[in-house]
Amino acid sequence: MIDKKHIAIIGGGIAGQEAASVLTGLGYKVTILEKNERMGGMLNKWSKLFPDFSSSQLVLDAVKVATDKNLNVICNADIFSVQKENGRFKLSDNSSLDVYADAVIMSTGYNLFDATLKEEYGYGVFENVITSADFEKVHKSGEKLTTADGKAPRRVAFIHCVGSRDAKTGNTYCSKVCCITGVKQAIEVTQMWPECEVFNFYMDLRLYGSKYDALYLEAQKHHKIQFIRGRLSEVSERQGKELQLKAEDTLQGRPLRMKTDIVVLLIGMEACKQNEDLCRDNALELDENRFFKSKNIYNHRNSSTQSGVFLAGSCICPMSVNESLESARSAAMLVDKSLKVQER
Amino acid sequence: MRTMMQKLREDVRLKEGLNACMGCGICTAVCPAAEYFEYDPRSIVVTVQSGNEEKIRKLIESDTIWMCGQCMSCKPRCPRNNCPGLIISVLRRVSQETGAFVKSRLGRQQYLILKTIGTNILETGYCVYPASVVPETHPEQGDVWKWIYDNKEAVYERVGANLDKEGPGAMRKIGRENLDELERVFAESGGQTLFTSIVEYSRAYAKESGFVDANGQPDMEKYTDFLLNEDNDEK
Repeated sequence: MIDKKHIAIIGGGIAGQEAASVLTGLGYKVTILEKNERMGGMLNKWSKLFPDFSSSQLVLDAVKVATDKNLNVICNADIFSVQKENGRFKLSDNSSLDVYADAVIMSTGYNLFDATLKEEYGYGVFENVITSADFEKVHKSGEKLTTADGKAPRRVAFIHCVGSRDAKTGNTYCSKVCCITGVKQAIEVTQMWPECEVFNFYMDLRLYGSKYDALYLEAQKHHKIQFIRGRLSEVSERQGKELQLKAEDTLQGRPLRMKTDIVVLLIGMEACKQNEDLCRDNALELDENRFFKSKNIYNHRNSSTQSGVFLAGSCICPMSVNESLESARSAAMLVDKSLKVQER
Repeated sequence: MRTMMQKLREDVRLKEGLNACMGCGICTAVCPAAEYFEYDPRSIVVTVQSGNEEKIRKLIESDTIWMCGQCMSCKPRCPRNNCPGLIISVLRRVSQETGAFVKSRLGRQQYLILKTIGTNILETGYCVYPASVVPETHPEQGDVWKWIYDNKEAVYERVGANLDKEGPGAMRKIGRENLDELERVFAESGGQTLFTSIVEYSRAYAKESGFVDANGQPDMEKYTDFLLNEDNDEK
């Protein structure tokens, strides 16, 4: 009987909420366990979305699960243990909270790369070096991006692959959404300051989405944004807090030095550190990038290595908003299928 | 015959220095030599990675591989844990072993370096030995150096060094026993073989270029003059 089955979802970001809304729609009892005070996860930090500059609030509002007698939301629940007990799962947090469920969905999402670890870029040392997340915060506030002393920037440089595709940070994978984020934010800077020169330093532009390349074209054609193929070696500060960049223009084959007022680091996505705890008391495993390992990455991407535990969203690998939502719906359908098989 | 690539691969430093390069240019960006020369460590790595025999041969015959200062700044930056500086070390060794170094101006200077720093190390135990930095052949050292050179005993004593004397202290005399050990290290590690190779290929090149004595043998003093002037001509 569907209405007797209970599903626990760890993580109340967009993936967790999307999965919950599919499952409650099918008649299941669902509990979302969110570690923060409020739902919405990382998308709360974002202002506008690529590729069409929709407000992130639009998505946050759309995924909000309608109040349903079958839905229970528990915030401030930092789950650290998932154990199988008499055929069901027991989820515990640091307080006395215990939740029992017939199936579990992991939607723990991702962390942003800590840019201070890339010391040579000077984040946390030079005031005019910010991250893509800092930029979103400024954009969301409705203010214009300025230098630390409040001046209009004459030149802004976006740095791709910070904490991605970099063995030195332990993250050899591509976070894949930063390229298009760089294009989007570069356009937003020119919208704030039409006179400002904007540069993107990239290794490969991985604009994989169907409408992403059009945005790249728009950035070049209408906003005169420059794209330079070369990985930034280091940032130093000059007098007056102006920044000096060192890179190679690899297409020209020569070293490049550039002065700029603001540097924006496009920080990558990392697996949540709590994932390790969540694997301890069961058969869940992490992959080589510390994200949850799927049973197989082709036709069982939403199945974990523990039967009865399913995976949704960017706890599997870096994902865009749309991919995360699709992933969540797939996970929910898989839960339904597996519980019905159990029933027979 | 072994291919260039085989020769390079025999050196363990190639394995350490080259995993796989994605051509991001971070090494060139940080490279001090790239600021002063027409020099691009990224393109050297890309050439070696291509395995193209002809291109690698051209590389070891070129000035390019001698522009690296071996500071290894590229190592901590590379996102793929490569080390272009080590790859260049290997290219240099193969260039020294095969005699390709005589085909470039900077390569030919191997002979001068061997005669100065190489001889210093084996005979005195020091890379740079004050008495061998003769002001006439080192004009870049300037007048102050000439004065120090002329008064070295007094100057080194004044700064608390123990120049050429027994006992402890900076610039002290290195004992025969230690010099013998250094020589054994050179023999064991292949340094001596490289020295021999550099001398022989340089002699052959000197002869070929007409720097010969009355008996038709290579005149290495004339050749040394040529190398010193060859350098000066381009300045």
